[in-house]
Amino acid sequence: MVVVLPIFAGSLIFFLPHRGNKVIRGYTIFICALELLLITYAFYYHFQLDDRLMQLTEDYKWINFFDFYWRLGIDGLSIGPILLTGFITTLATLAARPVTRDSRLFHFLMLAMYSGQIGSFSSRDLLLFFIMWELELIPVYLLLSVWGGKKRLYSATKFILYTAGSSVFFLMGVLGIGLYGSNEPTLNFETSANQSYPVALEIIFYIGFLIAFAVKSPIIPLHTWLPDTHGEAHYSTCMLLAGILLKMGAYGLVRINMELLPRAHSLFAPWLIIVGTIQIIYAASASPGQRNLKKRIAYSSISHMGFIIIGIGSISDMGLNGAILQIISHGFIGAALFFLAGTSFDRIRLVYLDEMGGMAIPVPKIFTTFSILSMASLALPGMSGFVAELIVFLGLITSQKFFLITKILITFVMAIGMILTPIYSLSMLRQMFYGYKFFNAPNSYFFDSGPRELFVSISILLPVIGIGIYPDFVFSLSVDKVEDIISIYFYR
Amino acid sequence: MEYTYQYSWIIPFIPVIIPMLIGVGLLLFPKATKNLRRMWAFPSVLLLSIVMIFSANPPIQQINNSYIYQYVWSWTINNDFSLEFTYLIDPLTSIMSILITTVGIMVLIYSDNYMSHDQGYLRFFAYMSFFNTSMLGLVTSSNLIQIYIFWELVGVCSYLLIGFWFTRPIAANACQKAFVTNRVGDFGLLLGILGLYWITGSFEFQDLFEIFNNLIYNNEVNFLFVTLCALLLFSGAIAKSAQFPLQVWLPDAMEGPTPISALIHAATMVAAGIFLVARLLPLFIVIPYIMNIIALIGIITLLLGATLALAQKDIKRSLAYSTMSQLGYMMLALGIGSYRAALFHLITHAYSKALLFLGSGSIIHSMEAIVGYSPDKSQNMVLMGGLTKHVPITKTAFFLGILSLCGIPPLACFWSKDEILNDSWLYSPIFAIIAFFTAGLTAFYMFRIYLLTFEGYLNVHFQNYSGKTNNSFYSISLWGKDIEGKKRIQKRFRLLSLLTMNNNNERISFLLKKTYPIDINVRKMRRPFITITHFGIKNTFLYPHESDTTMLFPMLVLGIFTLFVGAIGIPFNQQGMDLDILSKLLTPVIIHQNSNNSVDWYEFVTNASFSLSIAYLGIFIASFLYKPFYSSLQNLNFRNSFVKSVPNKMIWEKIINVIYDWSYNRGYIDAFYEISLTNGIRGLAQLTYFFDRRVIDGITNGVGITSFFVGEGIKYIGGGRISSYLLLYLSYVLIFLFIFIFQFIS
Repeated sequence: MVVVLPIFAGSLIFFLPHRGNKVIRGYTIFICALELLLITYAFYYHFQLDDRLMQLTEDYKWINFFDFYWRLGIDGLSIGPILLTGFITTLATLAARPVTRDSRLFHFLMLAMYSGQIGSFSSRDLLLFFIMWELELIPVYLLLSVWGGKKRLYSATKFILYTAGSSVFFLMGVLGIGLYGSNEPTLNFETSANQSYPVALEIIFYIGFLIAFAVKSPIIPLHTWLPDTHGEAHYSTCMLLAGILLKMGAYGLVRINMELLPRAHSLFAPWLIIVGTIQIIYAASASPGQRNLKKRIAYSSISHMGFIIIGIGSISDMGLNGAILQIISHGFIGAALFFLAGTSFDRIRLVYLDEMGGMAIPVPKIFTTFSILSMASLALPGMSGFVAELIVFLGLITSQKFFLITKILITFVMAIGMILTPIYSLSMLRQMFYGYKFFNAPNSYFFDSGPRELFVSISILLPVIGIGIYPDFVFSLSVDKVEDIISIYFYR
Repeated sequence: MEYTYQYSWIIPFIPVIIPMLIGVGLLLFPKATKNLRRMWAFPSVLLLSIVMIFSANPPIQQINNSYIYQYVWSWTINNDFSLEFTYLIDPLTSIMSILITTVGIMVLIYSDNYMSHDQGYLRFFAYMSFFNTSMLGLVTSSNLIQIYIFWELVGVCSYLLIGFWFTRPIAANACQKAFVTNRVGDFGLLLGILGLYWITGSFEFQDLFEIFNNLIYNNEVNFLFVTLCALLLFSGAIAKSAQFPLQVWLPDAMEGPTPISALIHAATMVAAGIFLVARLLPLFIVIPYIMNIIALIGIITLLLGATLALAQKDIKRSLAYSTMSQLGYMMLALGIGSYRAALFHLITHAYSKALLFLGSGSIIHSMEAIVGYSPDKSQNMVLMGGLTKHVPITKTAFFLGILSLCGIPPLACFWSKDEILNDSWLYSPIFAIIAFFTAGLTAFYMFRIYLLTFEGYLNVHFQNYSGKTNNSFYSISLWGKDIEGKKRIQKRFRLLSLLTMNNNNERISFLLKKTYPIDINVRKMRRPFITITHFGIKNTFLYPHESDTTMLFPMLVLGIFTLFVGAIGIPFNQQGMDLDILSKLLTPVIIHQNSNNSVDWYEFVTNASFSLSIAYLGIFIASFLYKPFYSSLQNLNFRNSFVKSVPNKMIWEKIINVIYDWSYNRGYIDAFYEISLTNGIRGLAQLTYFFDRRVIDGITNGVGITSFFVGEGIKYIGGGRISSYLLLYLSYVLIFLFIFIFQFIS
């Protein structure tokens, strides 16, 4: 199946004849594209949108000893992130062409990460989910610590400690759910979804999972690994991190916390919303204080993740739809922003924003795409970010769970984020591109983006605008599943 | 005709083809696209003209039937919620769209010449067409979400166009300022939309008004909340139309190219706020507080704008403040419920102001030939003067615009402004007095602009005699050489434009980082010791030239509009028909019919003569102060004697100084915002960052460090040395022994 293809194909890299980097690069891109095509083909022909159950399932017994199955399957919730993964990873490998140092290992790690991500998005088994979750940590750690910037070891260690620490809670939750109730461990999502627990136990599980996902998606007190990691990583890694890894946290929040633990979720939802609101404001106001370009984008993506959390917390149809749309839209926008930041860094070799300036003249194409994407990130209508945020807003307002005054307050504070976002993203744009500066340096590396970079940025731009104009495309994937999930909360 | 109706929703989206094509072309085939640059202007004008013809069609039939409502597209998400794109044409829409297309076409034709030497020519046309699309989309949208979408798009176009010359730091700051200020308004707009959705459960205007009125009628909603929502909605209009608390962006927006200032920041986009209020007037009108607030904001803005326009040196800035003041008039008219007057003034003002801006663009274009490309100089009214001789056609057109804005009878703005003044008199005498006073101020500052620009003698050359050796022409080449380096600079003045009209340089460069020695001269400009006879001696002087026909033609067309557009609002008393065209168009829309719709000619004449006399007073004072400018020696003596002879005129002088300071420093509002908001946000950002670094990250690092020390400690303890283990073992054994022995003894 598609999950194992990248990692097996990736391990073949080591057996390739040593004929320079070109072969490896071409091979990796070929594998990625093949995978993407396979996924699309499978979804196109074998996925029924109106069927609400898991589809394309695979079910093998893996370890007999404690009833561990290799269970994979796809439903409306996971199809979007899987497509996103395929898309972004392919583009990231394409973006990673300038990497020449030890490219064998690099590309292998990319492919391994690909597997891990698709695996965790499509697993139907808690333990398998956990294993896949851990599987993609290792490539990230290595990618970070080998191909990073100056402080790469610090940030890589921070990253691994954060995520490994959170994984402990995750594992505890998994085992707790698995071992509860019966003598045999039950790790299947379907069976555990129908199970009900005592409320106290449910809350404990919920907290465990929440910590794990809060580190991943970042929710605010646990976010500090993210700016460091993004600040140091190579930009193709950043694309994967911002585009997919962060979304895994949000996905897990929906998949496990909402589906499996509904009662605890409805208790925690108001707190989630409050935290999400604080996060939007907090990260958006921390962002202008950053001097490092990538860190600034990293904070902006923390701020955008706040919308997802609010969408999940407002237990309403529209809120959840908005959250899923935001997952996908920010996957595109964040990845593209990091890509462009990386490419422009390749050219001027400056990290700090206040040293930059006047780049618009030498690199007009990067300037154009960068400004379009920062517009997208500040939720310009016609782009995907706007639709997602608007629907989260509407979801919050139509949500029947909260009081009037709290809703007004929270909406108000969320909307302040709308003012802060253009402040940081436009001043970033201004500091980088506007103004005039005479570059004395020999301009040998100062060329505008070539066809490869242009292709990457345009192929991200197209879905961003496409979703912005016709969001129904994404909604049609997830609407039914979302209704199912929400119906748990109202028919219980 | 049915057929046309069916597909009429395409109309606003016709011009969007151009930016798409140009964008794709510039990204993928930059060379080929740039070679064809002039060819792109033609289709954009053509498409816009098509739009104009089509949008002129409905109102002709619409005088009788009310509106068209059309379903276009839907974003159905699920059963609870669906968002539909619909297309609504009612008289308001058709008036606005005719306005947008006519001004748009004129500006496009104009800018073909104005921007022709600019590297960003194609970009400019792409942005312009995109702006036209989104503006047309805005006026034809029929629900609030759609309004919001196009509202933002229009804002972005404005952002892009203000920052069009992005190499200039001022422009970069200005465009960000404009966007953020507008975003503050959008914040309110979005919240208001959401709040109204919450109350009524609908975005569509028709349903919205109906439900809302029912609710109000039955007293079913929280009144405070409703007022808050309406206020938030109104704040969107405040920001877009540069009304009082959020007006700071408009003068800075003049950093954009002049055609932009004409189209976006005078005629159409800033009118979007007025349009929104007019559109939502059925909603606002049931909440009297909101109407009062609208009127209040309007009156504050019109006074503020007029006072700030008094002492601006930059020609475009003073026009911008005048725009702000006129928008205040419209807001006031809406606030006092005279819908028709507001729209009438919107139309007349749009044409007159577009004319004025195009005229100023033409002036700037001719001045650039002399002073070089620098907005500090080419737009500086102090350097102008005596342009009548050099640019006669521009002067005529400009003068028409000036007269129209002052409210001199046969011209457009007279009719509309007079109507507003009349209505305000009915509403509240205080407001009316302020409005009348401002009408005088308007006349004053408009004539100030006119006199400084066209009367007297050209002031640029004066600087050559103020002790410095470099004349202006020389300074241009200096400016070019110094910074030029490897890059070729597109010189924007006419004489050299032919030489540099080659397309091999791929960068725009308006390099303004240098401060010129001339700037010092500029300030010393007004020295009176220069005599005019020097002019004959040097023959290297450049004189401003009249602009090309392509630039003059739109101005003339707009001038004709300015002359005759007032006619649509003039009440014709013939054949018993009491209504003019405009009211006929608007009759279905007007809910709150004004009581004195029947025209009383006597009243009209008295009011008109009153406002006229005030306007003439303003003009007189302006010519008294500024007319003798060219014979400044006399003027100085005259002023001096005037001051000396009447000692208590010193106070008067002081007052004038205070007003000038106030006006020149933009009422200190910008400075206040700068200090309070910008620094506040910076401080907040620093604080948050600090908090993030030190506290949250500190905890993490602290945990890391403590675990490190704990680990070190454990390592030290568990060193693996047998002797230490033995020592520990023995010591514990000894302790136990002691305890045992003590217990044994006791």
